[in-house]
This record gives sequence, C-alpha cells and structure tokens, in this order.
Amino acid sequence: MSSKAGSHSRGSEPLRKAEMTIRLSEFEIPPMQDALLVGKKAPIGPEAVRRMVDAVSPEQYEIIRIDHQVFEAAVLKRSLLKLLPEDKLLPILLEECERVADEQAVVKAQVNIVIQVNRAVDL
Amino acid sequence: MQTVGEIMTKELLTVEPEDSVARVAELMERAKVGGLPVVEDGRLVGIITSRDIRRCHPNRLIADAMTREVVTVRPACSLWEAKDLLERHGIERLVAVEGDHPVGVVTKSALYAELGKHTDALTGLQQAEAFQRKALELLRDGKEIAIVFLDLDNFGAVDKELGHVEGDKVLCKVAKVLSSVVEEDSDHLFRYAGDEFAVVTVKPLEEARKLALRMVNAISEEEWPPGIKVAASAGVAGGRRASPRQGGLESYAVSDLINMASLASTKAKKEGRQVVVAGEIELREVDCARQCPETV
Repeated sequence: MSSKAGSHSRGSEPLRKAEMTIRLSEFEIPPMQDALLVGKKAPIGPEAVRRMVDAVSPEQYEIIRIDHQVFEAAVLKRSLLKLLPEDKLLPILLEECERVADEQAVVKAQVNIVIQVNRAVDL
Repeated sequence: MQTVGEIMTKELLTVEPEDSVARVAELMERAKVGGLPVVEDGRLVGIITSRDIRRCHPNRLIADAMTREVVTVRPACSLWEAKDLLERHGIERLVAVEGDHPVGVVTKSALYAELGKHTDALTGLQQAEAFQRKALELLRDGKEIAIVFLDLDNFGAVDKELGHVEGDKVLCKVAKVLSSVVEEDSDHLFRYAGDEFAVVTVKPLEEARKLALRMVNAISEEEWPPGIKVAASAGVAGGRRASPRQGGLESYAVSDLINMASLASTKAKKEGRQVVVAGEIELREVDCARQCPETV
C-alpha cells in the first residue's frame, strides 16, 4: 500500500527517480593486449585499427592484412614477434580464434610465450 | 572518334578515406549514384561502391570498405576502349583521371547508351564509326587487314517502287544473309551507311576477294519476295605490313583502305562486275604504347 502511495504523489502524477552506478577502472593503454584479430565484417576495419594503434601506441604494433575466411587483419605486438616469428604465431592465433569468433568480431588475445633453452657447455 | 571525356560526369562527387560508411551510404542514396571515387589530398586512392557498402559495417571508415584497385581511364580514350575495360573487369564504372587526379566518372549505362547510338536499330549491325574502330584495333594488334565494301545495286528503285517499309525488310534480310557468310573468327560485318555494308577481315587479300564474291553471290542467290531483285557489287582493298615505321598514322591507313574499297565497289557497279580488287597499300606500324587502360 505504501509503495503504491509512494509512486504517485499529487493524485496521478508519477514520481520519477534516477539511480546511478559508477564503475571506475583504468583505461588500458593500449586498449588491446598482445594481439587483435579483426573480423571481415567487424565494426572497425584494419585502417581504423591502424590509426588507433598509431595514436595510442606508436611503433609498438604490426598490422598485417590477411587472406582468411573470418578475419581480414591481425594486429600483433612487435615485441611478441621478436620471440616468435609471424609465420609461426599467426597460424596458431587464427586457428584458435576462428573457433570462438565470427566475421563480425574483433578478438583480443593475450599471448604468453616462454622460451626454454637448454644449453650444454664443454667444461 | 568519341572519347570518354565527352560523355563522363564532370561534376565529380568524391569522398575521403576518413568518412564513415554510414555517411557515404546516405550520400550515395541522396545523389542516386552507385559508386564514388575516394580521394585523399587530391589523389585517387580508391572507389566505394554500393556493393562495398552492403558488405561492410556502417561504423567502418571508408578506408576499410573501399576497393583499392581502381580501374581508371584517360578522358582521351575512345568509348570502345572504355567498354572493353568495363567488360574485362566486370565493373559498372570507370574513373577518368589526369595523372593521379580524378576528373570524371563514366558509368556502364551512360557508355552503353552512347554506344547504342552507333548500332543500327534496323539490322542490329554496328555502324561506320565502330567499323573504323575495329579496323584500327586489328591494326594495333599487329594484324594485316582487308576491307570489303559492298553496295546494293539500284536499291533506290526498291524504295521508290515498293516503299521504304519493304526496302527496310530487304536491308534486314541482306544483313542476315551477309551475317551467314562471314566467319566469326576473322570477319567483322557492319552496316556502313544506307545500302552499304562493310567487312573488315584479317584474311589475306585473295581470301578477302573470295569472301566478297561469296557475299555478292549469297545476295543474288537468296529468294526475295516477288517483284524484288536484289544484287550487289563489292570492292576490296587490303593492307600489307611494311617494315617498321614511325607510328601514329594508322588511322590514315584505315581511311585509305575504306576509300579504296568504296571506289572499287563503285567501279564494279559501273563495269557490271561482281567484285573489283583495288589492291594493297602499305600499313604503317602502329605505336603500340596504348595509353588508355591503366590501373592505379
């Protein structure tokens, strides 16, 4: 009864309220992580990605246009490519991302590469 | 010869790579066009078509939706060269450029409408300008050509005695008869004017003479409506390739050949002969540096 009375003041005039919730978090610079795969029908294309990347993280990413059934471009962190060459890294990324994404998607990927080296030294 | 520059749209509407697909789609709809050149700093960098727009998200930049390989043409190119380019690439429009700068657009529909004016509505054959263009094209391809010029005998009498409707029927039938005689691979038949038909062929002169004879015989042997007698006389002229020379005069060679064949057909008519061979002229080497088709 009281809620009914509370929702209407002065006869039939409704009472309107606004509730506000604020979530604060840091904007990542760059907003992508290690790799971004751009779907063929994604709302943002490779050229727009290039401009964004050039603006927020100049010279840190490589943009590669690809001929693929789902994706049309890949944006790869250059430091990753020092660890693993593009021809090794890209096919794996594409294979995994095409399982979870379609042409409309832009997929962000975090890639951890650990290199193990065992060397023997003559004593 | 008519050029692209004469029929292209000169008030050029262009867009920039930074424009959004949504904005350009609206612009194209408002302007009722199916494609727009994309220009950056005055240079042509792509073309955006309604097909590109349909398959892209409206949020995209034009830079991410446009076709980067643009088939361009120079305004000085002939309409037939433009048609060849359109058909070869399976596209709907060509951007005319001066250097890197777009100066106009020619659409397939505008081009075909203009070329349609060179097709004879009565017989469906192409006319004199197309004939000259074909002869030039064959010369440019390094071929030796011969021209058969065929003139119906006393055709004016058919028009006068039976009326123009019957005369037109006769012309249609002549076109059909001649079409059945020429060989698709080597001969190209045109209605040159009025009751004159012409063939440009890559056959040697003697073979062209035989073709002319077959054409004349086919007409006289055809069954015509009662009271109508149709006969024709033909002249033949051929071009023999000379040693390489300075190019650029090939159109004179074509004009010379047409004149020679035409005069020879008149001579045949006067002398009551079926075919007169005018002879051969030296064909000048054609400058093969064709400047028209180009892709940026």
